[in-house]
Amino acid sequence: MFREGRQLGARLLLWLVLVLLTATGVAAQTVKIHAAQALVSDQSSFPVDQAAPRVDLPDDWSVSRPDSNGPVWYRLSFSAPGLREKGELLALYIEHVCTNLQVYLNGQLVHSGGQMSEPITQNCNHPQLVSLPAGLIGPGLNSLDLKVVGHALSRVASTHRAGGLSALEIGPQSVLAGKHARQLALNVAVPQAVSATLLLMGSFMFVLGWMNRRESHLAYFGALSVGWAIIESRLWLRDLPFDNAVAEFLLCSMLPLLTWASVQFLLRYAQHRSRWVDIALPLQALVMPASLWLAGPERLYPMASFWYVLLALQTLAAAVFYLRTQYRERRRSFWPMALLLCIATLALAVEYVAQKFGLRGPWMLLAQIATPVMMVLVGLRLLQQQGRALQAAEESKAQLELRIREATAEIERNFAQLAELRVEKVTERERKRIAADLHDDLGAKLLTIVHTSDSERISTLAREALEEMRLSVRGLTGKPVQLIDALGDWRAEVISRLGQAGIEADWTAPHEELPQTLSARAFVQTTRILREAVSNVIKHAGATHCSLSCTLFDGDLQIVVRDNGNGIPMELDGRLDRGHGMASMKHRAKQLQGQCLVESGPGYGTVIRLTLPLNRAIELA
Amino acid sequence: MTNILLLEDLPEIRAWLSSLVLQVFPDAQIAEAARVHDALGLVSAIKFDLALVDLGLPDGSGVDVVAALREHQPETQSVVVTIHDDDDHLFPALQAGAFGYILKEQARELIIEQLQRISSGEPPLSPSIARRVMAYFAAKSKPQPMSASSASVPAVSLTDRETEVLLRVAKGYTLPEIGQQLTLSRHTIADYVKQIYRKLNVSSRAEAALEAQRMGLFGR
Repeated sequence: MFREGRQLGARLLLWLVLVLLTATGVAAQTVKIHAAQALVSDQSSFPVDQAAPRVDLPDDWSVSRPDSNGPVWYRLSFSAPGLREKGELLALYIEHVCTNLQVYLNGQLVHSGGQMSEPITQNCNHPQLVSLPAGLIGPGLNSLDLKVVGHALSRVASTHRAGGLSALEIGPQSVLAGKHARQLALNVAVPQAVSATLLLMGSFMFVLGWMNRRESHLAYFGALSVGWAIIESRLWLRDLPFDNAVAEFLLCSMLPLLTWASVQFLLRYAQHRSRWVDIALPLQALVMPASLWLAGPERLYPMASFWYVLLALQTLAAAVFYLRTQYRERRRSFWPMALLLCIATLALAVEYVAQKFGLRGPWMLLAQIATPVMMVLVGLRLLQQQGRALQAAEESKAQLELRIREATAEIERNFAQLAELRVEKVTERERKRIAADLHDDLGAKLLTIVHTSDSERISTLAREALEEMRLSVRGLTGKPVQLIDALGDWRAEVISRLGQAGIEADWTAPHEELPQTLSARAFVQTTRILREAVSNVIKHAGATHCSLSCTLFDGDLQIVVRDNGNGIPMELDGRLDRGHGMASMKHRAKQLQGQCLVESGPGYGTVIRLTLPLNRAIELA
Repeated sequence: MTNILLLEDLPEIRAWLSSLVLQVFPDAQIAEAARVHDALGLVSAIKFDLALVDLGLPDGSGVDVVAALREHQPETQSVVVTIHDDDDHLFPALQAGAFGYILKEQARELIIEQLQRISSGEPPLSPSIARRVMAYFAAKSKPQPMSASSASVPAVSLTDRETEVLLRVAKGYTLPEIGQQLTLSRHTIADYVKQIYRKLNVSSRAEAALEAQRMGLFGR
């Protein structure tokens, strides 16, 4: 009787709580339901034979029935007068149910979130919208039964995934659909998008860092991003082929790997490498799953909570280390990175607090999304840096290529010079060999003619042939002779010969430094002309005095040979005696682009004026 | 000049040179040789006052004969008579101790004059030889910090007077003319020239000794 009465009382209470939905002008009106009857039972329908206590919604199992793994039946009643006439579609909106549920309207199954027994479909993040078919809604009181399956807090790693049911809302489908869509987007779509971004960016950066070992921080960041995306993959994979215990274990095992990646990323990014850390982090990634396994699925939550704090502290320490290094080195990237890391840390802290106290709300969601968003931003920042580094590398490569090209050209030039030098050396050696051979053979024979021929003409020819041979083997472009040296040679020969012949000689020539040079050929030709002139003086002139003067005038070399002898007799045709070699002297002067003038007359002596253009004589070479 | 060595491989030239020598030294005893080997044999047997040595010979270079004379008969005046007028032939000859260097193609009277001068103790010196000798000593006097030769070879360098003489020879002045210009006797000038030739020889011998030492011929 008492029990009946209590049941009745509860019903009456519900009546009071419920706001009656009228069919007119309430399209925008919804009703929130904050209480329901609840019973732990695995029956296929609401167990009417047992007394169902009233519970407040939201009903957190960890608070209301710790250690219980459900299933829990919830019952509530509502009425919707006039609804059927109006043809309006009603809907039930469940913001949060964990892990899964079925909905019965007046004893008829109208909605199932998926698999109700292990492996249970994971719907903790997915808000549920249940259409209530108008045909099933009676004119009076309608009963709505919800069967919720879930897990005790101790068996999951996060309060988010502990069993429970949020407050319910009943109203027009059109209104609630919008609300559901918004919540779905916030809970599922946005995290999905962010984690997809992380997955793509992370794999890309991982490959980038893997290929370039000096940029290992990129690889670690990539691993972190990909790991995060894997954890978030439950948003897609609501149905896993294994039990909750296994899923939770695998999920937790991912966390030390993420910590490994994040700590190493921060250290490497700060250009720091520690062998100790290199060993400890992978070791931790083995120790943590082992500890969870040893603790067993029943004590997952306390064990995981302990590890959360430990791992979070490690990451935090690495972040502090990184920022300190950046600050000390006065890096430009300190402030943006500090901001990003602070936001991420704050978001993690908020999430931790939310987890600890089972808080729920838009702020918590925002904090949940903030961390991966910050990761995306850090990733973009890294890519930007990488891009700049790549650009810089390209530039320096271009510079290097330029320098290599220059160096190559230089080497080629040097090589060409060297080759040229060697050719010159070989040529020189060969020239000397040929010269020696010619001297020893041809030279000796010509010499024999010079000194044994009875004809002076032949001996002169032979001597000239010898000189020609010398010129040839020296090369016609052989070393030019300094004019001052040439004058010295001529003077020595002329003075010596005239002195030998007992003729008083007088030589005048410029004494100052003379920059001019004569080509080898010009020197030899001029020497011959002078020799011829002196020979004439000695042999034919009968002179007692001979003066020679060399002057430089207007780029010309002028040599005047004057004697006080008999002069040269005229031939019949009025020309000077050819026997005196005048013709050959004139011819030679002409070859040097100069001229040889002879002034003579019987009794007047002879004057020979030889004019040679110095510059052209040089060019003749 | 009583004993004269004439080393020349071509018979015609040898005859011509012989007649030329007899013109200058009518009383001379001329020992003729056509090969280095023969000449060296004569050097070890007869004491010569003058030697006319050709360079390019069938069995070697006359420079060896000049060196042998320098070694065994330092009083002998060796004169190279050759067709080669280049540094590669001239310098080794002078360094080996040749007292003069006569080019065969010169006119007969010029060669006679040079021989006469030699007989009167005046060494022949042409402007071009003077220039080369100056260049040689100038190159040697250049500081060579990395070379051991500058430290080990006794410093043989020309005095200012010797350089002065060479400079004037290079300009074409005869030795008597230079004597007048410097108010010195022609014999003094001739002595300077002899001294220059000696220094050339000493310098080359020091270098040769050093080279031998460097190659490990001594001190083993």
